[in-house]
Amino acid sequence: MINLAGRDIMHGWGKFVFTGVGLGLLIGVTLTMAGVYRGMVDDAKVLLDNSGADLWVVQKDTLGPYAESSSLYDDLYRGISTLPGVSGAANVTYLTMQVRQGDRDVRAMVVGVSPGSLAGPGQPAYLVSGRHITRSHYEAVADVAAGFQIGERIRIRRNQYTVVGLTRRMVSSSGDPMVFIPLKDAQEAQFLKDNDAIWQQRRRSAENPAFNRPGAPGLLDSVIASQSANPYVNAILVQIKPGFAAERVAEPIRRWRRLQVYTRTQMEKILVGKLIATSARQIGMFLVILAIVSATIVSFIIYTMTIGKIREIAVLKLIGTKNRTISGMILQQALGLGLIGFVVGKIAATFWAPFFPKYVLLVPGDAIRGFAAVMIICVLASVLAIRAALKADPAEAIGG
Amino acid sequence: MQMKYLYNKARMLGLMGVIGLLIALFVYVVMRSGPLAPVPVTSIIVKKAAITPSLTGIGTVESRYTFFIGPTTAGRVYRVNVNVGDHVKAGDLLGEMDPVDINDRIKAQQTGLKRADAGVRAAEALVQEMLSRNAFAENQARRYADLFKKHAVSEESLEARQNEYQVSAAGLLSAKAGLASARQEVPRIQAEIDGLIKQKADLRLIAPVDGLVASRDADPGTTVVPGQSVVQLIDIASLWVNVRFEQLNTFGLAKGLSAQILLRSMPDQPVPGHLLWIEPFADAVTEEMLAKVTFDKIPQPLPPVGELSEVTVALPPLLPALVVPNAAIQRNGGQIGVWLIEENRLRFIPVKTGMSDLDGRVQILEGVSEGDRVVVHSHRSLGPGSRIRMVDRLPGAPS
Amino acid sequence: MVDSDFQGIDIQQLRKRYGAGDTAVDALKGVDMQVAPGEVVGLIGPSGSGKSTLLKCLGAVITPTGGRMTLGRGIIFDDGWKLKDLRALRRDKIGFVFQAPYLIPFLNVLDNVALLPMLAGIANAESRKRAMELLTALDVNHRAHAMPSQLSGGEQQRVSIARALVNRPPVILADEPTAPLDGERALAVVRILNRMAHQYQTAIIVVTHDEKIIPTFERIYHIRDGRTHEEKGEGRTLDTPPFISKRIQNNPCNPK
Repeated sequence: MINLAGRDIMHGWGKFVFTGVGLGLLIGVTLTMAGVYRGMVDDAKVLLDNSGADLWVVQKDTLGPYAESSSLYDDLYRGISTLPGVSGAANVTYLTMQVRQGDRDVRAMVVGVSPGSLAGPGQPAYLVSGRHITRSHYEAVADVAAGFQIGERIRIRRNQYTVVGLTRRMVSSSGDPMVFIPLKDAQEAQFLKDNDAIWQQRRRSAENPAFNRPGAPGLLDSVIASQSANPYVNAILVQIKPGFAAERVAEPIRRWRRLQVYTRTQMEKILVGKLIATSARQIGMFLVILAIVSATIVSFIIYTMTIGKIREIAVLKLIGTKNRTISGMILQQALGLGLIGFVVGKIAATFWAPFFPKYVLLVPGDAIRGFAAVMIICVLASVLAIRAALKADPAEAIGG
Repeated sequence: MQMKYLYNKARMLGLMGVIGLLIALFVYVVMRSGPLAPVPVTSIIVKKAAITPSLTGIGTVESRYTFFIGPTTAGRVYRVNVNVGDHVKAGDLLGEMDPVDINDRIKAQQTGLKRADAGVRAAEALVQEMLSRNAFAENQARRYADLFKKHAVSEESLEARQNEYQVSAAGLLSAKAGLASARQEVPRIQAEIDGLIKQKADLRLIAPVDGLVASRDADPGTTVVPGQSVVQLIDIASLWVNVRFEQLNTFGLAKGLSAQILLRSMPDQPVPGHLLWIEPFADAVTEEMLAKVTFDKIPQPLPPVGELSEVTVALPPLLPALVVPNAAIQRNGGQIGVWLIEENRLRFIPVKTGMSDLDGRVQILEGVSEGDRVVVHSHRSLGPGSRIRMVDRLPGAPS
Repeated sequence: MVDSDFQGIDIQQLRKRYGAGDTAVDALKGVDMQVAPGEVVGLIGPSGSGKSTLLKCLGAVITPTGGRMTLGRGIIFDDGWKLKDLRALRRDKIGFVFQAPYLIPFLNVLDNVALLPMLAGIANAESRKRAMELLTALDVNHRAHAMPSQLSGGEQQRVSIARALVNRPPVILADEPTAPLDGERALAVVRILNRMAHQYQTAIIVVTHDEKIIPTFERIYHIRDGRTHEEKGEGRTLDTPPFISKRIQNNPCNPK
């Protein structure tokens, strides 16, 4: 028995492949949308993974440092680093701001880390180029997504920094690239105001008779100096010695230091559950709609393909072709179309994913699920077409 | 007939070609991206090298000696002779406070001095007078005593004469005392005058050393109290940089080491200097060590006091040791170490690190041997089971 | 090959009723028809006469309501039978020739014809061999590997006749086979039908109202109002202008 589906495809292979490619692009878009969703969730996870921390210590009653702003004194970390189970504790600051390079502005998350401690918490885990920061001021490590090259000078607030190293996939939860600078510079960037504000503050202090007594000449200078100090950080990242449970280390900090402490799972819940929840749901809904549209279009295509052959199908039935054979032909064509569509879609999605401004994560699980879905949709769509085909009256061929 | 058959064959080949292309692309996509693909990494062979650690810190330009020139008593500024930026020599008059009534008081005292002189002369005259009276009274007493012996005068007149003698002796003593006291008056008033003159001199603000007027803090007419400065003077030759170094890795920082000073206003021209001393008190809150670095030659134009600068101090070079780039140091399972490449497979080796230099090279004291190959840069984070692919440069990373 | 057991078509009092109760319509009220193997008869009737219904019954597309129908070897329908596998009947017992060739466009000529034996379960190689035989008999074997769209109209029609014959059905239904054709081509088709009928001893019923070919039939059935009556046709031979004598026509050695 000859394979009718195969013969039909070969006869009009150009049209078949063309339809498959068109379908494939639609499937590719759907796969990409799933990738955008996964990329968003991955951005949040990567932020937590790359910080190298097991615990996040933040200001009491805040969800910080990513979901809410948090402010701690920068000498608190010393007390935490001596607690049992803590292998290291380090200050860290986060601030999303504009970083200037030449004429252009890049939105980045500026992270202040203590230089000199190798592979400490908050530092990038691996580099794709260059080296880590060695000087205690005016050096930076940036993510490749920011578009900076090694050796370029970038401007953050008042100071210029030389880019000495590049990382990959170090992004904030909203996909902004990270730029790592020494902690003291970051504190100044975050907490020191601009020059105008500082002049205003000095003027106000000078006019205040409590600070500007004639009999105490050095008082005003001392007051102004204390107003310009920046002893705050956003969080303290803690690494735990192996063998200690996170909660056991966190509890004493919560109780005795009166700070808020989050473990990895809690941070993940905050990030995924609160920070990106709305955007994720938005994309999720769009994905569902896209999938329904794709299914509809696939069904439409297969149905139309069948109806276009209705005369041949009537003749086949008249000359004695089994219903099963005709159904098989339609089903095979539908599955073949789905297969081509999926292959084209997966290839297209893989090739255009890197061009998206935010991370698109295509996981094999999604591809497999997508393949299964495409095949099922093709089968269901062919059912509709088969019903139409089987209803065709062989007497049509006889001319009524 | 043959041609028709071939035409069909050509069509079949065409279709097969397209399908083959699609399958090839698909396989390529699956193998090259996604988790099945090997991670591109760059690597380096561990070698011995002698690194020269350096230290950088941020400092402000300060003057070692700053002189706050001001009055010692409360008063009003009368005149200021200099402006900011003037160079002055030791002894120059920088300004004056308002003398108010000092001149008058000096005049008063000087008049008093004259009066004291006159008083001395009067006392001396009185002493002379008393002397002569005393002599006369003494003679009279003797004469009457002789006469009494001859019963020529009465006892009463003898006693009278003896009394006069005693009175005049007392008068002489008193006159002498008066003279001594009048004499003391002169130096006293002279001392008062001297004191007032010194106070007046104090109203003059004199430059104690050669220097540069750095600030003019009070203008004529301003009332100042002792402790407030009218003019600030800095000793140009004593400009130095007050530097703060992070406390980590300051081992080896010592007096005399040479330094490069990068002033913020001249970021491309480092100025040579050397470390003068390290402060015995470090800053416990900011965890920094403080040091003073002097310029080998004071740069012209003079950097303003308070200008920020970056100071790099070269520590003495260390003995050769195994060295890796600091990008190779990573954390795995709570330990610090490197990823060793053995026949295209990865193994994490915990290491002990030593000093590092500013170019990012770190000494490895324990853990790897010379000739081992370790991962430097990787396209993704690595785990023990990661498959790797060694490349010269990572895709997407600019050189 | 001629099988002497062939009995052609024998229809007695065939009835077909559509619907039930008050709205029932009797499309066929008692049709009698006999066609011997090797015979070519005409079937003429206006629309609404039940012609289509009779065709559908003959073509095993619908099940009659009453009467008896014998096709080839056995009785295929007797009063009240329920016909289960119409499709198999069509495949094995009946060949169709239509107004238009209705070839499957995505199969080449050979496979168009070979499809029918394959549907009957015969192996591909044997099916193609049989198909080739028929194509040769109809002088279109040189186009065996072409696609239907590359053939002329006449060639396509011949292929469709080959397809109708390849399974050696006892009966062939030809529905207006000459309707789109002009005089010479129409007669050519009739010649072929006659030749094939004789060669394969097949009974052929030609439904037509083409004036050009009606004179060629020996017997004609007229159908009106659900009943048929037989009529003697003119039986004009097709060789002398405009026809050739029947006896010579039936000689298989005679070139077309």
